[in-house]
Amino acid sequence: MREIVLAARDVRRDYPVVGEPVHAVRGISLDVAAGDWVAVVGPSGCGKSTLLNLLGAIDRPTAGSISIRGKDVARMNDAEATRFRLTGIGFVFQRFYLMPTLTASENVELPMSEAKVPRAQRVARARELLTYVGLGARADHRPYQLSGGEQQRVAIARALANQPALLLADEPTGELDARTGTEMIALFDRLNRDGTTIVTVTHDEELAQAARRVVHMKDGAIVDQVVRRPLGDDAPAARGATA
Amino acid sequence: MFPLPLLRVLALAAALQQSTPSATSPIAPPRDSGAAIRSITIDERLAAAAGLSVGDRVLLAPAAGAVGDSVVIAAITRRGADPSEVARSEYRVRLHLDHLETLTRSGDRVGRFAVQSREEADPSAVSAAINEAAFGFRAYPAAEVAVETSATFRVVNRFHRAIGVITIVASAIFLLCITLLKVDERRRDVGALRLIGMSRSSVVRAVVLEASLVSLIGSIMGAGLGWFASWVVNWYYQGVYATPLRFAIVTPSIVVFAVTLSLGLGVIAGLLAAQRLVRRAPLELIGR
Ligand SMILES: Nc1ncnc2c1ncn2[C@@H]1O[C@H](COP(=O)(O)OP(=O)(O)OP(=O)(O)O)[C@@H](O)[C@H]1O
Ligand SMILES: [Mg+2]
Repeated sequence: MREIVLAARDVRRDYPVVGEPVHAVRGISLDVAAGDWVAVVGPSGCGKSTLLNLLGAIDRPTAGSISIRGKDVARMNDAEATRFRLTGIGFVFQRFYLMPTLTASENVELPMSEAKVPRAQRVARARELLTYVGLGARADHRPYQLSGGEQQRVAIARALANQPALLLADEPTGELDARTGTEMIALFDRLNRDGTTIVTVTHDEELAQAARRVVHMKDGAIVDQVVRRPLGDDAPAARGATA
Repeated sequence: MFPLPLLRVLALAAALQQSTPSATSPIAPPRDSGAAIRSITIDERLAAAAGLSVGDRVLLAPAAGAVGDSVVIAAITRRGADPSEVARSEYRVRLHLDHLETLTRSGDRVGRFAVQSREEADPSAVSAAINEAAFGFRAYPAAEVAVETSATFRVVNRFHRAIGVITIVASAIFLLCITLLKVDERRRDVGALRLIGMSRSSVVRAVVLEASLVSLIGSIMGAGLGWFASWVVNWYYQGVYATPLRFAIVTPSIVVFAVTLSLGLGVIAGLLAAQRLVRRAPLELIGR
């Protein structure tokens, strides 16, 4: 029996706006087991990003519960949620959000330095992660010296820095051209095969097809789920670089 | 040392009645005639204006066209660093007291004279002793005279201080606004840092550290610029007024004050700017 990393129960998020409140997420329940890769798809405005932000302790649900590795994310105060985002979750954003003044390696070290990882250890891990995403030779380059795809690889390395239980990605291929997007999908696939639990939100059909499970959303609710590759279908390699 | 109006007359006469062309006259010992020729000193400015140098002979008379003595210039004097003399345009000639008395036919008439006390003597005790013993004049310690004559400069000084305070207040407000704007430009970065789990205090610390570094470097550069500007000002005006007086000075205490002030302002501005940012939700900061 695999560990359930993420368990969301009847999660709701209403945005209080003048007039009728926006019901962005209306009662979603979702379980994600360790080693799974879930792609959330659906039309624009159906609440995918809202859901992902709730799962990642960026936003708080109006109702329902979200538990990650047994921790109740929905009830955390701001400081606890911040700490949880640092150590429990890895984020990959559509626009990378790397610090422009830091090198690739320093960007990867940033969450480790915030988590008080000793310097020598974080430098070594940053190198290791950058090598894993294929940027070992670009560790000392700054974001403006890197292509979009390379920046996104650095962002993925940064997301994995503190060995999170869960990797969340919102449109990770949204800013990339088709070929770079395909390379990115291959990287996610490798990460997943090496044991990383992933939830991606995407419009990208190719990215969705690569996931083990595809969750279809509409108007803030899950309308369909397709398991494409069951867990254990392909024996994941030892946790390797992500451990 | 000499009555000033008298000096002015003398100086004028000396300038107008130059008898020997300086270019050809050798710098020779002055005693070339039977009667001992008297010597005078003139100041640099007169020497420059009249083209005189040491050894030149000039005719010295109490008034233009009057009968006078032929004298030799024994030395050219440089003016002291006295701010009250800087703007004075008159020339200065010094001659021996007895010579001055015969030339002006004003024996036994001296307006002011200076008494130099020994190192260890207390000037106010000395002047008190003189005042007790003498009659018909008063002695003052030099420090008292200096205070009296520098009243204008103290007013000017206060005025400068007021300008300084206004400048500092205005630039502090300006700096604060600039810092707020500059930090606000980094809104997205701060939002991203918060999203990946940087705490509020870490973000504030980073911003304050950066702001204080910028203000430290800025104030050191500013002090360097100030030092250079004062060097230029001194170089220019010392030339214009032919004086060793320093018109602008950058003292260590001024540098310390400036650096401390800008560092303090930088920290406060950084703190305010960072606080303003971290109060907002990270999603709002990245402008989703
Ligand atoms: N801060 C907010 N205030 C009010 N309404 C919001 C806010 N954020 C999102 N919404 C609304 O919630 C709904 C879901 O938004 P969300 O960004 O989750 O959609 P999405 O599925 O990620 O869309 P896309 O695919 O275009 O990224 C939308 O109708 C949106 O307008
Ligand atoms: Mg979205």
